[in-house]
Amino acid sequence: MIIQVDNLVKTYETYERGHTFKEAVKSLVVRKKKIVEAVRGVSFNVEEGELIGFLGPNGAGKSTTLKMLTGVLEPTSGHVSIMDYVPWKQRKAYVANIGAVFGQKSQLLWDIPPVDAFYMNKEIYNIPKHAFLETLEEMVELLEVGDVMRKPTRQLSLGERMKCEFIMAMLHRPKIVFLDEPTIGLDVIAKENIRGFVREMNKKGVTFLLTTHDMEDIELLAKRIIVINHGDIVFDDRMEVLKTYLGAKKMVRLTSEHPWPTDWEHEAIILQKRYTEHNVELELDLERIRLADFMALVQGAVGVVDMSLMDIPIESIMKALYRKDLVPLAND
Amino acid sequence: MSSIRLYMQGMKTSIAGRMTDRTDFLISMLIMLLFDMIVPFVTVIIYSTGASFPGWGLYEALLIQAIFLLAKGLSFPFFFGMVWNTIERVRGGTLDILLVKPRHPLFMLIVTAFDAEDLGKLLGGATLFVIAISQVEMPGVLEWLMFTFLLMMAVIMFFAFALLMSAVTIIWIGTFRVYELFDATTYFTLYPTSIFTKSFRTIITMVIPVAAMGSMPAAVLLGKPVDGVAVVGAVVLIFLVLSYRFWLSMMKNYKSAGG
Repeated sequence: MIIQVDNLVKTYETYERGHTFKEAVKSLVVRKKKIVEAVRGVSFNVEEGELIGFLGPNGAGKSTTLKMLTGVLEPTSGHVSIMDYVPWKQRKAYVANIGAVFGQKSQLLWDIPPVDAFYMNKEIYNIPKHAFLETLEEMVELLEVGDVMRKPTRQLSLGERMKCEFIMAMLHRPKIVFLDEPTIGLDVIAKENIRGFVREMNKKGVTFLLTTHDMEDIELLAKRIIVINHGDIVFDDRMEVLKTYLGAKKMVRLTSEHPWPTDWEHEAIILQKRYTEHNVELELDLERIRLADFMALVQGAVGVVDMSLMDIPIESIMKALYRKDLVPLAND
Repeated sequence: MSSIRLYMQGMKTSIAGRMTDRTDFLISMLIMLLFDMIVPFVTVIIYSTGASFPGWGLYEALLIQAIFLLAKGLSFPFFFGMVWNTIERVRGGTLDILLVKPRHPLFMLIVTAFDAEDLGKLLGGATLFVIAISQVEMPGVLEWLMFTFLLMMAVIMFFAFALLMSAVTIIWIGTFRVYELFDATTYFTLYPTSIFTKSFRTIITMVIPVAAMGSMPAAVLLGKPVDGVAVVGAVVLIFLVLSYRFWLSMMKNYKSAGG
């Protein structure tokens, strides 16, 4: 086990005040204290070489958890052992073995080329020259940033900058890399490049913990998903299990001969979207109706012109997970 | 050794960054230097009207201000930028990036804050010092030794103040006003200590030893009677230790920005 997290808790104090002028003035003298339970007893383990999607809605506690795992914050209680280090107690020795990419916080230096920032990292991590040049060459080749890294950072596109952020995080050959929204704002090609790089590094044995709101990142990269909500873990299993979370459901896009009835009601066929009178999107529960029966039913009711059958989008599953007041998973 | 290499790399990247806009760099450097020259300029005006600080000639008074500027020039470019670096990083959440580096966070705050613009202070301080010292009686070896010791104490005081300000801004986010407080406090070292009352002299030498940042090193260099140089040195070191402990305790309470 490379990461062991046991009953991790983080609470902090904050202050509340209203928006009116009177409340603002009042808050100068008296402030209402509020205790926030950001993380409430999170436990999970990670094997070496895993690529885990760490998900949750905004404010769920995932960033706070990530900050505790990277040694930035000290938890209120609980235990973490990563590569036999306690991150916040042995921070210096520990962080020498991890990497981090924060999609919204750059490690590059705005006015100078990324290559200068790489040399800065060489000194920070005290990387021998030979090893540094070897790793740099490998990364530059993989991410195709040979020319890019010599231009001032401010002249680079977001995709080029993100590739350089990855190099910054990987130069010291970390065993574990924490990715916090690494593809935010990137175009399709840049996303694909980044994902390819992560996949390649993962094949070489690097463990990744990926936090993102981009479900495509999760579908294409993560083998295991941990979902956190209201500070608790509400799902921790393989991607295939997550896909069956809503049961045996499918999405149907249908073009019909006759208008889809406005008063349609069926327990196994739920109207999700009405694009036009003849174009609809349906959610089909295959536990309640067989596909053949569904085909016969709609053919009889409206006449099928065209139809496509799809898996439920992962976004819909996540929405259901985030919305529901799920019982947190029992700790093993 | 690796820390020195890292510091030099930080210096190199900072200078390279500033050189992308050389005009802005030179203008900023000049403005800062001119701003720091206001007090010596006012001193010259005061003395030209016939007024003076009792027992201190014009160049002796200028020597105090030159030493303060020299100490400032030895502090501001090399480590004092940590104050603004802390404010910006805590506010923007990028202090986290320094915390995932295998170095002491204070060192990282210093390394990433080298400020080439402030080298103007060093140049200005050194120039003013040479002008002032050339107009007074040349000090002896002992005076030079005591002066060197107190100049070191002056730089340590700048470091201690930087620690205090950095510490405060870790918890009270965006407190830019701390610098004004520092500026006001150090104002008392720009003039001879002899112009202050005895009780106030005790405060600026034994409680918050700002006298070590200008007036005291100037007095020893000029061979004027100065009591308790060693004691002031000890107080400066205590001030440094307390400031560092305060910084560590504030860092322990760092909450990080959301998101």
